[in-house]
Amino acid sequence: MAIVVAENLAKSYGGVKAVNDLNLTLKEDTTTGLIGPNGAGKTTTIKMILGLLKPDRGKVEVFGENPWDNPKIRPLIGVVHEKAFFPSHQKTLDYLERTCRIFGVPETRASEVLKLIDLQDANNRQINALSAGMLQKFSIAHALIHSPKLIVADEMTANLDPQARISLFDLVLQLHKDQNVTFLMSSHILPELSRVCDSVAIMNQGRVLAAGKLSELYEKYSAGTIRVSADKPEELANEIKTLAYVRKVEVDVRGILVQVQGQDENSFYEDVSRLAKKVDAKIQGIETGSASIEELYNRVVRGSEGGRA
Amino acid sequence: MEKGKGKPFLEVLSSALHEDYRFPILEIFAFLYVLGTFALVNIGSLGFALGSVSGEAVAFRVVTSAIGFSLFVFLILIFKNIAFGLGSDLEKGIIQTYFSYPLKRSRILSAKLVSAVGVSIALFLGIQILALFILAPGIVLPHMGVVLLTYTASLSYPLIITGVLLVMAMIFRRGALTLVIGIVLYFVLSIVSGIVTVISLATNSPLPLQILSVFSPSTIVSQYYSATISFFSTNSWAPTFSQVLLSIAASYVIAAVLFSLGYYYFSRRLNL
Repeated sequence: MAIVVAENLAKSYGGVKAVNDLNLTLKEDTTTGLIGPNGAGKTTTIKMILGLLKPDRGKVEVFGENPWDNPKIRPLIGVVHEKAFFPSHQKTLDYLERTCRIFGVPETRASEVLKLIDLQDANNRQINALSAGMLQKFSIAHALIHSPKLIVADEMTANLDPQARISLFDLVLQLHKDQNVTFLMSSHILPELSRVCDSVAIMNQGRVLAAGKLSELYEKYSAGTIRVSADKPEELANEIKTLAYVRKVEVDVRGILVQVQGQDENSFYEDVSRLAKKVDAKIQGIETGSASIEELYNRVVRGSEGGRA
Repeated sequence: MEKGKGKPFLEVLSSALHEDYRFPILEIFAFLYVLGTFALVNIGSLGFALGSVSGEAVAFRVVTSAIGFSLFVFLILIFKNIAFGLGSDLEKGIIQTYFSYPLKRSRILSAKLVSAVGVSIALFLGIQILALFILAPGIVLPHMGVVLLTYTASLSYPLIITGVLLVMAMIFRRGALTLVIGIVLYFVLSIVSGIVTVISLATNSPLPLQILSVFSPSTIVSQYYSATISFFSTNSWAPTFSQVLLSIAASYVIAAVLFSLGYYYFSRRLNL
């Protein structure tokens, strides 16, 4: 069942198109990562899904309803904004208890979520006395208070230290597994997203360029991608570039990333062995398929910008 | 869902009250109200009760004396609440948090306005009426109609400015800027009001005052009661009671239009 359906969404700010003809479907019981460069339109998309922004064109439905000024669907949604915003002169536990009363859940839930998010030591602290990281954690606790079916998080891990990020993503996995919570998360930290997300929507210039299950996208966009680990990557890369069927060669800290025409993958294995001998390089490993979400992202985004994919 | 029905509004209101009237702001303003109101009622009743004028005119003068200083203090409190309770909440994004609650946008704005404006007015009227009944019961009790009319007329002008400020807070979304606009607007309108009065006196024409009365019906109420006694007459304009009511009604219509505009913008147009 589709929880979020966005069709032909468009939103401009003073003539600049932030979102342009965007289509996105979010199925129940999925964890979807919304990824894209700065200015891709991720936050604008999230705000339209949350009913904070009115689309100029197109339609968005959340749980089958228009989210604009619609209190009926609010108890089903938890929201984590990039920057956390709360009335600042109230204590954390007091404000969460207030939130419990707003959503009609027992006030004991406030202490539960503070403990869940490892913020129980700050339960008597004023919100304006929280550090940026603690405030972000508080925002997550606030989003969990009413056990929503859908959690929409814009840069949820901003301001969090590595340990807190790991704990948070463990929590995401747990909530998804135990309570079938659906997640829509935007983040710039792609490896983290790939750890928890089973689906992604890759955005650029206000459009969704590719969306679907991560495994399917890897298959679709990574055919012909081979990673070679060798002890003389630069020399070997220069030799590989001479092969006629090789479309692109990149060297990074993890080795050489080569894109070949699909039908020539087998030829490549023989040729790379020959070339390695020629430059006296030792091959340490060869992997087929895109090994990381960054590579998938690069292929999709660069492809959309007209570069060689 | 049903369990929490009715609660979200009260909780948002309670949260807004907590932010708008936190220590020591409430105490300072309450002290200024009490000090100003009691002092002015006392002076007003001493000054006018002994004169050989009608009871209605005396009651009017006592009430306007009481209102004078306190109204300004009360207006600053309202401006502060609108600027920081709404403008800053929009600026910081707290309204986004409220928009995640099961509550219509109009109800969220209502909660903010009840806290920012409603409670301030209740505080103002409560202290004013208390002071009048304690210090000048013999003057105000027989003329409750005058007291009611004077307060009704006096409150519409602040409400009009508050309505303008409400719209400004949503457009600019900056707390400090909204507060500055409110204070500047108040002083500019006071100066304009003074100029209009001078023009009316200089030309001996009631028209400028009649126009002014639509925005500030205290002017026509003042004329109405002053006209009943020659000592206070400033010109030849002697408005009828119907004209007084019409001006008051017109000013509240203007205030209502401004607030409706604010509600419309907040509910239908406000993109965050």
